[in-house]
Amino acid sequence: MPSQQKAKIYQQEWERRLHDVQVSKDDLNRLVMDFLVIEGYKSTAEEFSKEAGMDAPVDFDSIENRMNIREALQRGDVGDAITRVNDLNPEILDTNPSLYFRLQQQKLIEFIRQGQIAEALQFAQEELAPRGEESPEFLAELERTMALLAFESSPMMPSSVSELLSTAQRMKTAAEVNAAILESFSQGKEAKLVGLLRLLCWGEALLEERADLPKVCSVQSWNWLELTDE
Amino acid sequence: MSARQSRSASIPIPPSSVTRSLESVIPMSFSPSPAPRMARVPSGGTSVSFNLGRSVPPPMRSASTSYASATMTAVAVPRGRTSGPAQANSPPAFEPRIIGGATSPTPSRDPACNPPYSPSTSPARPRRLSSGIRTQSAVSTSPVAHRVPPPSNVGHPLIHSFPRPAYLDNSSLRDMLHTEPAPSVIANSSRPSSYAASSHDVRAGTSPPPATSYSYFRREVTPAGDSDDESIVATASPPPAVGAVTVLSTNTILMLPTRWSEQDRTPALSVSLDGRDLIFTGPSCMGDRESGAARANHAIPPACGIYYYEVEILHKCPKGPISIGFSAPDVRLSRLPGWEKNSWGYHADDGWAFPGHKDGSPYGPTFDTGDVIGCGIDFSVNRVFYTKNGGFLGTVFENVGKTTEIYPCIGMRQTNESIRANFGDSPFRFAIEEHVRAQRDAVWGNIMSTRVDWSLLGLGPRKTEEERKAEDVKAAAEKEKGVVEDEEESRAPLRKLVLAYLAHHGYARTARAFQRQCAERTAAMANKAPVQPKTELHDDEDVKMAVDDAPAVASNPVPSAAYDLDPDFRFDSELNTRLSITNAIVRGEIDTALSLISEHHVTVLEREQGLVLFRLRCRKFVELVLAAGEALRRVKEAERTVAGTPEPAPPASPAVDGEDVMGTMDGLGAMDVDDPSPEAHPESSMSVSGPIAAPTPSVLSAPTAMSSVPSPVATPVQDMHAALAAAARTSLHTALSYGQTLEADYKSDTRPGVRAHLRRTFGVVAYDDPIAAGGEVAEIAGQAARNALAAEVNQAILESQGRPAHPALETLFRQAGACVTQLGLLGVGSAAFADVRREFIEG
Repeated sequence: MPSQQKAKIYQQEWERRLHDVQVSKDDLNRLVMDFLVIEGYKSTAEEFSKEAGMDAPVDFDSIENRMNIREALQRGDVGDAITRVNDLNPEILDTNPSLYFRLQQQKLIEFIRQGQIAEALQFAQEELAPRGEESPEFLAELERTMALLAFESSPMMPSSVSELLSTAQRMKTAAEVNAAILESFSQGKEAKLVGLLRLLCWGEALLEERADLPKVCSVQSWNWLELTDE
Repeated sequence: MSARQSRSASIPIPPSSVTRSLESVIPMSFSPSPAPRMARVPSGGTSVSFNLGRSVPPPMRSASTSYASATMTAVAVPRGRTSGPAQANSPPAFEPRIIGGATSPTPSRDPACNPPYSPSTSPARPRRLSSGIRTQSAVSTSPVAHRVPPPSNVGHPLIHSFPRPAYLDNSSLRDMLHTEPAPSVIANSSRPSSYAASSHDVRAGTSPPPATSYSYFRREVTPAGDSDDESIVATASPPPAVGAVTVLSTNTILMLPTRWSEQDRTPALSVSLDGRDLIFTGPSCMGDRESGAARANHAIPPACGIYYYEVEILHKCPKGPISIGFSAPDVRLSRLPGWEKNSWGYHADDGWAFPGHKDGSPYGPTFDTGDVIGCGIDFSVNRVFYTKNGGFLGTVFENVGKTTEIYPCIGMRQTNESIRANFGDSPFRFAIEEHVRAQRDAVWGNIMSTRVDWSLLGLGPRKTEEERKAEDVKAAAEKEKGVVEDEEESRAPLRKLVLAYLAHHGYARTARAFQRQCAERTAAMANKAPVQPKTELHDDEDVKMAVDDAPAVASNPVPSAAYDLDPDFRFDSELNTRLSITNAIVRGEIDTALSLISEHHVTVLEREQGLVLFRLRCRKFVELVLAAGEALRRVKEAERTVAGTPEPAPPASPAVDGEDVMGTMDGLGAMDVDDPSPEAHPESSMSVSGPIAAPTPSVLSAPTAMSSVPSPVATPVQDMHAALAAAARTSLHTALSYGQTLEADYKSDTRPGVRAHLRRTFGVVAYDDPIAAGGEVAEIAGQAARNALAAEVNQAILESQGRPAHPALETLFRQAGACVTQLGLLGVGSAAFADVRREFIEG
């Protein structure tokens, strides 16, 4: 970045720009609906479509299917999740080997979590080891997972290994599966609202580099925690 | 209000006794018009006689404030270089003969290669030359028809004008990009081929109707805003007091290159009439120092994202190193582009590319007569690419256009060499649209992989620079491992955002459902310690049941450190009250709304010196007028029934009836009912809280109540008729006297917004069916106006509670959009590929 002179943006100009952005309540409603659908808030989405008088963007039942899979993963029932995914659309796992590996890995983690060491070993040898040969990436992940057995709840366990047992790991797997399913239905794989925030983060960072903004220009200036905390 | 006298004098009042009697009853300027009109004109007539002197009745007013203003009411603001390029477009139109080097407007520049040629040959030259070339180059697809500017063009026939090239439609800032100067930009909108117009139309179609359009500034929807938008419209001519700031932002117009500049060229080069051809008319240059170059008439706005033009080599001498590329405005034109700093060129003789100095490098094939060379700049990476006869040659150069403006630029050295440029007025050989779309997707993909930094967005604790860096490192490491972002952490603020939005707009049931579902998920999360036995399934169910059974979601049973749903929403009280208020306004029950507001949110009425109260009272007046009109229509309907059966209806009957109504009005007087408040007595000045405390009659119930009053008259039909007429009288009178009170109460309020709104409100009286009248009147009277007022009151209540006037979600959206625009104007090319609306709303 050449050290350009920073542009000066006046508050009035910025307000005008904010004002010039075209957005209606309907637009924002759609954005919210998209979030509810993608993130799987089925009953909220139903309520919203009634209350805001919007057409359902998708079959709300499809949300439920997706959420059942997600819940299965969150409670550690990987087998159930795999069955459900295949019921929904067998191509999802067939065409996505790394996702399938991720699920198998999660299954192994759940065996270890429950202390079913014998089952874990058998599963690893029969199902995961052959896949580990397919790609170095899989192999590394398999080794990381197997390390769980070596440490077995010892306080020495490095965090890179112990985090596999965390709830967050389950959530991550669930999120990946969710995204894959959404993609298979050619829906966006993440809520547009999240994309909007990404765009904003991208833009704010660049703008900070290039321009002197009045305080009001930066999102930080509106303490929007005030929204809810009083 | 000083204008009032003259205005009332200007109203043509139909000469009739009715009018006079009315006038005597209600000596108000606005009031005479409606009554006779409603009585005399049976069907919705035109508004000729009752135009209350509203000076400007723009039909599309509110639509333009929210989005159209940026492009439609535009002022020409040529960016960057001052006068040169901006003028370049017009002078040739009026002095078409000045095309040769000898008569060049820059005679001072007179290098050695300035030719001693006969000016008389020059005007005819381009065409003769090019047609000669045409036989040589069968490859050329450029149609002959394009050689001569089509005479059908708007404006001067010699201005070669064309719409914005289609590939630029991919730019998020496309509405700022123009191929024509401001005056014709406006004319443009009527042309079907205009991209600016059509893209705007498409949007207008998908957007909600004007009145519900979402103004960001409160003052935009409040009366103060009304005067504001008049000033916006006025911006079209002289810049307002705000000065450069406003002009710069809203009315930004970025001109695209459309032709070779008449001024910005060496005299050795001649420009054809349509501005597309360059002919080297001087003697061939010898040595590197002597070349002839020309630049286009405008710099390329980085807001294009990618800009592209093509050049057909009409005639090239065997040795000629024709150079095609870009250059900054201050680069000498006596050198080929690419040889001087801040210029970049691809040379015909050796296929080399020169990045601003003599040390070029091999780049592509050589090119010759008949070839079409495309030249593009991608501002998202600040690199250049070329094409040859439609084939992509690859990217080259770096940091192009990063620090200076750049222009399309061509250099030649041999007599009779000539080229023809296509700045987008005819189809390109290269599939540029595909290319741009691919680039856009790539850039967008990149943007969408940005990590959401909640602290940057003002969420959560503000992080120090070190913390943020550390996180970035961690995130980068995680990315490498293919780890997804921590779901829960990122979801909590999102949920807050959504919940706040739902609450803001009063989607109570949705908000409750959402809160419940969030609580379920939080509970599920909280209950899952990292390593847990299998029984947790049942635990989960229990928690869920508990949550479901809980009467109020606010009593979230599982307070979680990660995400605690805020119990302060108080859905059942706060939200419900707010909902009842806005719903009442939406239904037109202003009194209900007023009493609820004064009960729960009394400070709201005092906001902005009583502006909210003023708006509500104006609306009440409109509702009264609407009710009166409705009552009158009922009378007429009944009459028609009566006339239809026993005796044929005399055509004058409605008028007679009207007279009837008016005549008896005095008798009924400030009658009845239910208006004990000062409303009925215009003289008594009214306290601000007057109308709220007063239990004014429900507007809608008035007619029905009256119709049930027994009448002494004989037949049931007549009976009903009389009752209806009485009801009509009542409601009309109620409306008019309320109007008088309103006028009296705000007589001394000189705020222009208040005055303007009052004037428009009273204008409604001039129509017996304002909603059917269409235009501005319908806008003021219609449902959309109720909705807008409801939104405004909603906003005012929220503000009075210290909550933001706009949901954070909306602010975020606007912030993102403004960011992109600002970046685009600052020269960040990637911004052109970040289209907020297209990606998040329309897509």
